[in-house]
Amino acid sequence: MADAPNPDRTLDAKGLLCPMPIVKLAKLVKEMDSQQVVLMEATDPGSVPDVTAWSKNTGNPLLHHETTDNVMRFWIQKA
Amino acid sequence: MSSILYVHTGGVNNPERSATPIYLATTAAAMDVEVGIYFTVNGPTLLRKGAAEALIVPKFDGTGAPLRRFIDQARDMGVKFYVCQPSLDLHGLTRDDLIDGVEMIGGAAFNDMALEADQVICF
Repeated sequence: MADAPNPDRTLDAKGLLCPMPIVKLAKLVKEMDSQQVVLMEATDPGSVPDVTAWSKNTGNPLLHHETTDNVMRFWIQKA
Repeated sequence: MSSILYVHTGGVNNPERSATPIYLATTAAAMDVEVGIYFTVNGPTLLRKGAAEALIVPKFDGTGAPLRRFIDQARDMGVKFYVCQPSLDLHGLTRDDLIDGVEMIGGAAFNDMALEADQVICF
């Protein structure tokens, strides 16, 4: 997994529960241009496996993720 | 494109069973999966006009949100809703009693969808 690049967009999904973080991510990525990167922040405890599975199935790469103080941050690039 | 067909048999008398298939279908649609939900047995009672506004999906702490919110999210993501006539007859419902945008299919069309789908998941 590469280092965290500077994001073009951010998505605050903190406090949202399944399925909303993934729904909001999917909607935002649809609006973005190819190669742009979104930084998503989430607190739903299932977010790491969920975003990983979403990335695998949609083909939009998860470049990097990290967790600090129960906040998970994901850098996702639009394919 | 991958496809999943959900079969939803829960109705208004089991609020705790009403939302999960709809959450999962919404998530699948967000993953670029082609998704349908086939409402059968008691499932069509969730689609009666007004029912989903009145049905509160329960939470352990006594709060909750109306099912209608989750139905609207699912359809906004492109999830298709299907019912069949015999399951409407079970509950004395007609097509006109249902919310808009629900497609009527029969048993053959359902079985064909099941054969074509990558996965069928039943609730």
